[in-house]
Amino acid sequence: MSVWAALAGGFFGTLVLTTALAAGSQLRVTRMDIPFLLGTACTEDRTRARVVGYALHFLAGLLFALAYYAAFVVLGRAGWALGMVFGVVHALFSGTTLVNVLLPAVHPRMGTPSSAANSTPLLEPPGFMLLNYGRPTPVLTILGHMAYGAIVGAFVAAAAH
Amino acid sequence: MSPFDPSERYAPLRDYALIGDGRTAALVARSGSIDWWCLPNLDSPSVFGALLDAERGGRFTLGPAEDAQVRRRYLPDTNVLETTFTTAGGRVRVTDALTLPLAGLEPFRELVRRVEGLQGHVLMRWRVEPRFGYGLDRTRIEPRRPFPVASSGGTALGVCAWDAGPVTCDAGGMAGSFEARPGSRATLVASAAYGEPLIFPGRDEVERRLDATVNFWRTWSAQLSYGGPWREAVVRSALALKLLVFAPSGAIAAAPTTSLPEQIGGERNWDYRFSWIRDASFTVESLLQLGCSSEARAFYWWFMHATQRTRPRVNVFYRLDGGTDAPEVTLPLEGYRGSRPVRVGNGAAGQLQLDTYGELVDAVYQFARKGHTRRLGTGGHVANIADFVCDHWREPDSGIWEERAEPRHHTQSKAMCWVALDRALALARAGLVPSGHADRWTREAAAIRQFIDVRCWSARKQSYVGYAGTEHLDASLLLLAIERYEEPDSPRLRATIDAVRRELGVGPLVRRYTGDDGLAGGEGAFTCCSFWLVEALGITGQRKEAERLMADLLALGNDVGLYAEEVEMGTGDFLGNFPQGLVHLALISAATAMHGQDA
Repeated sequence: MSVWAALAGGFFGTLVLTTALAAGSQLRVTRMDIPFLLGTACTEDRTRARVVGYALHFLAGLLFALAYYAAFVVLGRAGWALGMVFGVVHALFSGTTLVNVLLPAVHPRMGTPSSAANSTPLLEPPGFMLLNYGRPTPVLTILGHMAYGAIVGAFVAAAAH
Repeated sequence: MSPFDPSERYAPLRDYALIGDGRTAALVARSGSIDWWCLPNLDSPSVFGALLDAERGGRFTLGPAEDAQVRRRYLPDTNVLETTFTTAGGRVRVTDALTLPLAGLEPFRELVRRVEGLQGHVLMRWRVEPRFGYGLDRTRIEPRRPFPVASSGGTALGVCAWDAGPVTCDAGGMAGSFEARPGSRATLVASAAYGEPLIFPGRDEVERRLDATVNFWRTWSAQLSYGGPWREAVVRSALALKLLVFAPSGAIAAAPTTSLPEQIGGERNWDYRFSWIRDASFTVESLLQLGCSSEARAFYWWFMHATQRTRPRVNVFYRLDGGTDAPEVTLPLEGYRGSRPVRVGNGAAGQLQLDTYGELVDAVYQFARKGHTRRLGTGGHVANIADFVCDHWREPDSGIWEERAEPRHHTQSKAMCWVALDRALALARAGLVPSGHADRWTREAAAIRQFIDVRCWSARKQSYVGYAGTEHLDASLLLLAIERYEEPDSPRLRATIDAVRRELGVGPLVRRYTGDDGLAGGEGAFTCCSFWLVEALGITGQRKEAERLMADLLALGNDVGLYAEEVEMGTGDFLGNFPQGLVHLALISAATAMHGQDA
């Protein structure tokens, strides 16, 4: 198994995931906008935030691909179906913990349940399973991450043969 | 009874004032109810649409709980509205604005309502009832912390309230009440998001943005170069037009509304949230004359780019983003005071309206005449249009009024074809347009003149007529003076102006035409025609009469100086889409033309 294949899969997988979420936003299915969420942690400028956010999201995609790769190595096998299962776990982790709890905790412009009168929350927090951004958001997020996992799994498996 | 009386389901159109931010706009009634707001853009579906359906449309009410007298104005030289309610118990001031962005993270769109207690104690009530998608989409309302949120699909509205009482949420909306006392200040913000998470602003930032918005409008108004006798009306018209400029593209919407009826209960209800090429030359000339060269340049490039996509044919109008697709759809809404159908999109898009070509080439000519020759860059496009006019001017068309009857040989359309060729020749002589076909343009221009002289003149009426072979008159004939088809001292022109006034005039008002237009029902007097008459009278040297008529017309605007498309004869009520850009353009054009004669 090749770590480079995992990174390549991570890149293309993130491309698909980002495109799927952007399409969902344009089709008025969801208000989930990962580049905007990540980028506004660094800057208040809307346009710059999206550029920074895309870069951060792709970086995160590559890091998660390395985690997937480690799991493939431990299990001794890789493939698109296994990657898809990882994607479901990844999406559930993102929706319940990563974006819902950890991101608001470190994001300087997002409210948390403990925000009080002396704080000024700016950005709408995502809520459990990102439901604040629209009811179809969890489904779209899970499907996007399944696609991401399948692509990473397929790239790693292809390189192994 | 509070100023917002639910038993009066629809406010008179005269009661509305417009606020906006260059991307979207909202209509605020004298009662304090915001009954029209589209998200995220001017031509998007409404989130407050009570204007078109009092039950389903949604609104944002804010006003005293008891009976009140209402006075309102725009803060001088701004598009920020100030409404003062005086009740038996005291006085309170509400300031409404769609704020403009500053540096920093701010809402995608932000509607701010600031309430200041001035005197005594006034119990204020507010309620936000968002209804997305013209009230037809399912709206979910959640009592979230720190602020409640309404959402539907990719659009959401958060309501932030400071010192505006405890907020209650129910299935229909969010509400609160509070007492305004001298020195008290409450702030309500509707923060909108489209395809992204909501931004909940801090109160200080909101106040800062509101102040900056006031300053922006004042700075913008200060650059207007008109110094004539009707400055207040001209500045208000320019500010109203600025709200119709869709900043992301530079297009100018004809009006911010759809389906406000030309007759209460009638079927003449159209969507005007598009940019008409017809208005192009008026717009470019008026903006340039007022010193708004950046807006004129943006609009010029927008329409040259939009028409490039359909060249050499020019559509009647284009979407604000420059697109051409605008299918007409009927919405299942009650309509303003029961006036159905409620339409979005506009079926006139596919009509042949030959005057459009003249207006487009004249706009290029005006742009070049003001010294923008180096940036013209559209000579080939203009030459193609001139050739197209030569090929098609003999065809009947739907005319300036977009009649839905059989196409006819409209006099004004033919005259504007002549204008297209005349201006193309002038541009060719200046070396700005290829002159290879100039001989043909000259021949065809002469042929058009002969057609109008022979077929569109009535010896009996001593006037040009609305279309060839009829005796009906049409107020668009006034444009023959304004567009300089005829010289100011032309006997035929003067006789036509007299005839239009005699047959179509009702006091200071002017009806569009006599005869059948293919639609059932009647309509009011078209306000723009009255201002055209002022300008035509001024051009032909009837200055005193023009000034008297101008004074009468300025008295017909509403309390904040805005005009609808039409005025109902007799009652003076407003009809049609509101406020209409063409009326305000005609007002500016008449005022600047007469002031230009003074200078």
